[in-house]
Amino acid sequence: MRKEWKICLPFYKVAYSVFCVAILSVIRGVFFSYEVGAALEPVMGLLAAVFCADTYVQEITSRRSEVERLYPMKNRMRSIFRRMLIQESYLLLLAVLGYGLFYLFQRPMPLSEMEPEAQGEMELFLAYLGAILVTLVFWGMLAHTLACLGRSLWVGIGCSFLIWIAADSTFGANILGKWNLFSYTFRNVEDSGDWSWLCGKLLCIAVCAGLAAVLPKIIQKRGS
Amino acid sequence: MSIEMKDLTVTFKNGVTAIDHADLVIPKGVFGLLGENGAGKTTLMRVLTTVLTPSGGTISLDGIPYNEKNYGKIQQKIGYLPQEIDLYPGLTVQECLEYMGDLAGIPKKVCRERIDFYLGKASLTEHRKKKMKQLSGGMKRRVGLVQALLHEPEFLIVDEPTTGLDPEERIRIRNLLVDFSEGRTVLFSTHVVEDLVATCSQLAVMKKGRFLYAGGMRELLGKAEGHVWLCRVDSEEEARELERKYHVSSKQYADDGLRVRVLSEERPGVECTEGKVTLEDAYIYVAHK
Repeated sequence: MRKEWKICLPFYKVAYSVFCVAILSVIRGVFFSYEVGAALEPVMGLLAAVFCADTYVQEITSRRSEVERLYPMKNRMRSIFRRMLIQESYLLLLAVLGYGLFYLFQRPMPLSEMEPEAQGEMELFLAYLGAILVTLVFWGMLAHTLACLGRSLWVGIGCSFLIWIAADSTFGANILGKWNLFSYTFRNVEDSGDWSWLCGKLLCIAVCAGLAAVLPKIIQKRGS
Repeated sequence: MSIEMKDLTVTFKNGVTAIDHADLVIPKGVFGLLGENGAGKTTLMRVLTTVLTPSGGTISLDGIPYNEKNYGKIQQKIGYLPQEIDLYPGLTVQECLEYMGDLAGIPKKVCRERIDFYLGKASLTEHRKKKMKQLSGGMKRRVGLVQALLHEPEFLIVDEPTTGLDPEERIRIRNLLVDFSEGRTVLFSTHVVEDLVATCSQLAVMKKGRFLYAGGMRELLGKAEGHVWLCRVDSEEEARELERKYHVSSKQYADDGLRVRVLSEERPGVECTEGKVTLEDAYIYVAHK
């Protein structure tokens, strides 16, 4: 795991990701605490896409994949999923840090102070944690798989960016509704009992499972 | 361990035929693959390492035919050093080899023993704690060779391992290949003729996807026997005239004029003597015949 850590978490990736979250928490204004999760989710999704796109494609660009092709597929897949695990764990920690930084810099007002029936701070945070975990895994996996498919980092990032723009827009919110990939961001915050945004997250999980299933086929693809 | 290919053809989607109905048998020992840039050497190696699927023809490795069913079995027997490979720059030599060994499925203890052994052979023991990005080009190539040998393959494929290296590093790599070839088949692709003279007795010459020659080094030299001429001319004009008529493999200014090495079926019509054939002469003779 230590070697995978060094491979997939080089200094420059840590630096730009921390910088991105820190800047966001300073410049993105929030008034109520329930807005923090919505402010972070789309950006963290895009960050996950950029961050994870090179998980395997770096093996292709460095030509190491030609050597690794000779190795057992299960070992190669194990290594890829370890890298994903490390990157996603790191991003989750960063998402938690980002949440804390918003409280530090923006000092949002808890809605529950004004409306007693509104979600408490801990409940809000746990909902955010669940949603952001799914978001990070989904966008990371999507960009990584698309990059492998196109055998290019930029294909992975570019295609993910287009999907991200479509999902994180009024158009996406209106068309997809509760099935939007950013359903947590577009949730009805005034109704604390509305958990329909989970549908969007379930869709993300289902797509992730599909991507994980096709990944070995994409990696194994032989040129002709 | 022998590799046999029959009527092998590789045509890319853009219509370019990189290997054109080629037949070849690669026996045990170091086998040289010589050819100009774009001859199809790398494509052939990519087919042999199962990176590419041929468009036609058959290949077998020790009697095992290349097909989807057998790829797993075949891949275990192959070690590969591509022409360009960038091994994990952030890892140390030791970490990089341990990681590759783990991917190859070698048990940790065995892997460490082999790393010690091969790093010693490659004179890299004192550099094992250096990061890959701190190594020179030659050292990186040697680490690449060690990774190709970690799972003790029976068939080692090395693609232009000496390109861009200084003479000392080239000699080191060549010697390593000869050491490692004991009991194995090593396919050594290059366009540097001297490398093959120093390492192998069997070779194939490739041009435009076809094998122009396959066999022993001596037989290849024999083909150019009597066709190499050392000529002396007085002026640059005469030398240019020779170049127009024949294949000139070298040209040198001397005190008494210009000395020109000419490859020709007949004796050139200038002052000349028959020269001793080198592999370079033989290669040029076969390639342009």
